[in-house]
Amino acid sequence: MTLRATPNSWGSVAKTLHWGMFVLLAAVMVVGYYMTDLPLGMTKMKIYALHKSVGILLLGLVSLRIVWRLVDRRPAMEPMPAWQRVVAAVAVMVLYVCMLGLPLSGWLYNSAAGFPLRWFNLVNLPPLMASNPAVKGMIKEWHETGAAIFLCVIGAHVLGSLKHHFVDRDRTLARMLPGRK
Amino acid sequence: MMTRSFFMGLCLVFIAGNGQAAPIYSLQSTSTLQFQGTQQGEKFTGAIKVFEAKISYDAHDLAQASFDVTMQLKSIDSRNLERDQAMQTPDWFDTGRYPTAVFKTVNFRVTAQGAVADADLTIKGRTKRISFPFQFQKTAAGATLDSRVTLDRLDFALGAGEWADDSMVGRRVDVIVHLNLTPVAPPVAGKAPSAHQKN
Repeated sequence: MTLRATPNSWGSVAKTLHWGMFVLLAAVMVVGYYMTDLPLGMTKMKIYALHKSVGILLLGLVSLRIVWRLVDRRPAMEPMPAWQRVVAAVAVMVLYVCMLGLPLSGWLYNSAAGFPLRWFNLVNLPPLMASNPAVKGMIKEWHETGAAIFLCVIGAHVLGSLKHHFVDRDRTLARMLPGRK
Repeated sequence: MMTRSFFMGLCLVFIAGNGQAAPIYSLQSTSTLQFQGTQQGEKFTGAIKVFEAKISYDAHDLAQASFDVTMQLKSIDSRNLERDQAMQTPDWFDTGRYPTAVFKTVNFRVTAQGAVADADLTIKGRTKRISFPFQFQKTAAGATLDSRVTLDRLDFALGAGEWADDSMVGRRVDVIVHLNLTPVAPPVAGKAPSAHQKN
């Protein structure tokens, strides 16, 4: 396996980013849906702090991933109808918008609500806007709606890859799996 | 000399007609009572928006000086709704049981750094004697009173239980007082202290 993609397979950089972000996204989503109903207390604040820290980490990782995607070559598309290519490309585009938009809207919401943002207890990040109770509800809705859209498109992305693997029996999924060529 | 100052003092008492020689001041609405805490390593500022104060002060007659301040803790605003709601709960100010905090001077002295009042501060039913250094300045309109005091929130059981751990909320809280005062003269017996409210 090479760092860069080959005509047949994604490279190790793309695979590591893909699966690493998958694990972190799953964690941050589960925590995100669980944490809002917790009673106010230290536990809630610590869990929120973790959700925010991992979210900011994901924002950094997706930025790296976008740069790498622009630099790296891409494996050739498996044979498939044109409409499927279009749908897959649109889905991937939406996934990238979500990967950027969710941490950014979370950061914006945190700023509007007037909360501190301490990244893994290491450094405090500045607010993106001044505290503003009038718009914070709206930004919270962006963050929540974004998460719901993200989940739906991730679901479609997973189902599509499984369909390619088990029904079409092509290499669409295999070329992203770790350890294969 | 002794007799003369005693006589002058008597005259002042007589003129004031209220047994109190030091001039009395009331609050202007531009006065502020703020505090600065830290949450997750970040400073935040809150204000107690409703408070009343009775200030009697004459730098040359500290024995007659007194500062009485009553703060309505339900009026706390730190520009964060969740934090403001949390501060009202039993873990923090417990305003259901203790809606007010009271500051009352017991003694005044002059140090190398300036004037200092020893005062009893009561928050959440706990009273602690604190040193309150201040600058009192006469102005054209009356006077200003400024002070900055650092408190330990645990002295008043603010942030009880798990919150006592200061990793989320720091223990040190700076209180910043800025009062704009108007003289009330002559003092009238039975006059209520001036109330102060703004939004």
